[in-house]
Amino acid sequence: MTLAAAQNSVPLEHWLTLSGVLFTLGLCGVMMRRNVILVLMSVEIMLNAANVALVVFNKYLIANAPEGVALDGQVFVFFTIAVAAAEAAVALVIAMALFRRLDTVNVDDVANLRW
Amino acid sequence: MDFMFLVFAALAVIGGLVMAFHHSIVHSAFALVGALFGIAGLYWTLGADFLGALQLLLYVGGVTVLLLFGVMLTTRDSARISTFRYMLMAPVVGMLAYFMLNTLRGVYAVVSELGVDAAEAAPTTERIGEAFLDPDVFLLPFEVAAVLLLLVLIGAVTVARRGSSDEGAA
Repeated sequence: MTLAAAQNSVPLEHWLTLSGVLFTLGLCGVMMRRNVILVLMSVEIMLNAANVALVVFNKYLIANAPEGVALDGQVFVFFTIAVAAAEAAVALVIAMALFRRLDTVNVDDVANLRW
Repeated sequence: MDFMFLVFAALAVIGGLVMAFHHSIVHSAFALVGALFGIAGLYWTLGADFLGALQLLLYVGGVTVLLLFGVMLTTRDSARISTFRYMLMAPVVGMLAYFMLNTLRGVYAVVSELGVDAAEAAPTTERIGEAFLDPDVFLLPFEVAAVLLLLVLIGAVTVARRGSSDEGAA
């Protein structure tokens, strides 16, 4: 066992299960809910599940690099959070424009491009 | 460490469950706050103190407020909130949060005295900052992220501006 993994009493499988459960919840929200804002929230949860997996892998797998603890996974999470914030802002603006234009936020009602 | 993991994981999963399945979108938004807070706690449990703080600032503080604004602006008969009942609730919730934070601080003190791994990884802020400013590592992605945020700022203002060209008769 690596030093970091040996000291951490929570096994890797528990973390990954948690990440998978969160991702599944987000997926359920995306597929089942019809409010566009709620779909956006579910996407945020899915992104967070992936972020948790990144940080966990960074701790459990990279941590035994010879020159100390590399932090690449945490830096990736930083970028994910930045992109997620950008995504949330743009998506909310789109939802607002949708509401002003079509008077709805139900994703099923927005089928203008469907043929 | 196990205990903290269980607490924060339960917070995240329960928050995610309520978020995905509650019929009221405002409740969903607040459940999302709980889930994101739980994930911030998980980052701390993993020794990623910088990411935990970032999660609190950006997600719990920023994205959620943005989402709530979105809910307010896109709901026709916005939720009738009986202000009085919630004003009675506020001190109770505040005291609860205070005691919870105190407990957490106590737990954290115990954990760090036991010398569990949090001390080994944290503080990470300095090393992450150095990785961002090192041209050999993450300087270019960092700059690209900055440009992306600027683009999003301009794009969001352009699309959201009332009376923009694609507004039509609405």
